[in-house]
Amino acid sequence: MSARKFLSCGKCLLITVGIAIVGGVAFLYSGLYPMGADVPHNALTYWGLETLRERSIERVASKIEVPNDMNTSARLLRGGADYNDMCASCHLAPNKKQSDFTLGLYPSPPNLSLARDEVGHANHGDELYSQQRHFWIIKHGIKASGMPAWGPSHDDQRIWDMVAFINSLPKLSPEQYQVLTARGDSSNEH
Amino acid sequence: MNTKIITFIMALSTAVFTLSAQAHDPKEHMKNAEKPDCTAMEKMDKSKMDMQDPITQAMMKQCMDTMDMDMDEKAEDENESQSHADESTEHTH
Repeated sequence: MSARKFLSCGKCLLITVGIAIVGGVAFLYSGLYPMGADVPHNALTYWGLETLRERSIERVASKIEVPNDMNTSARLLRGGADYNDMCASCHLAPNKKQSDFTLGLYPSPPNLSLARDEVGHANHGDELYSQQRHFWIIKHGIKASGMPAWGPSHDDQRIWDMVAFINSLPKLSPEQYQVLTARGDSSNEH
Repeated sequence: MNTKIITFIMALSTAVFTLSAQAHDPKEHMKNAEKPDCTAMEKMDKSKMDMQDPITQAMMKQCMDTMDMDMDEKAEDENESQSHADESTEHTH
């Protein structure tokens, strides 16, 4: 009797899973999901994608070894110039609230000139993990987010320089930002 | 024949790799490089700066040339005004 019940329950489960798979595939092919960047995900999809992203990054980034000399002026100067050229249009600069990219991209890129608790995205752990996370994201990028992988064209040291600059960015005034990110020689002005 | 093909492929891949590396060389960005605006730095009270702070150190490095030049110019101005003062005192005697 109980074996029959178990069998019928198993059949029910199989049928349910089958319907879910067929329904899911039918939904994929229906084209009903809005793919435009100007229509936000529903809360469930957003939660699912964000959890997938953060768990994936945490698994690999937490093993990365951070160099000891992150807090040096040389790294700030090298990283600042690269940040300004490669990142500022999306991740902004002191006193800059938005750009065409921050308005148009979805998800909107975090404003890295703000302190970590003001960024608007979740606070991703302590300072060490924040540096590991930034390094991994800059090097590998994030699928379907607009964040490119800079690893193929930039070596690790250059990426660490950018991480060092991003770490100090919330402390900078607009004037300090201008000086630290300028590549030109100040003496040429005279 | 095979050796020629392998050599050609190796040369081509090396050239592609080298060009892709050059494209992201920092020197590439120097063409339209902005110069640091050190005017705010010049007005700051140096005695109140924290010289152990990497941000201050980086600012000093960036503005060192400008600040050195300003100090040289000030020194020259002081020398000139001093020499003018000397000349004028000589004329009065």
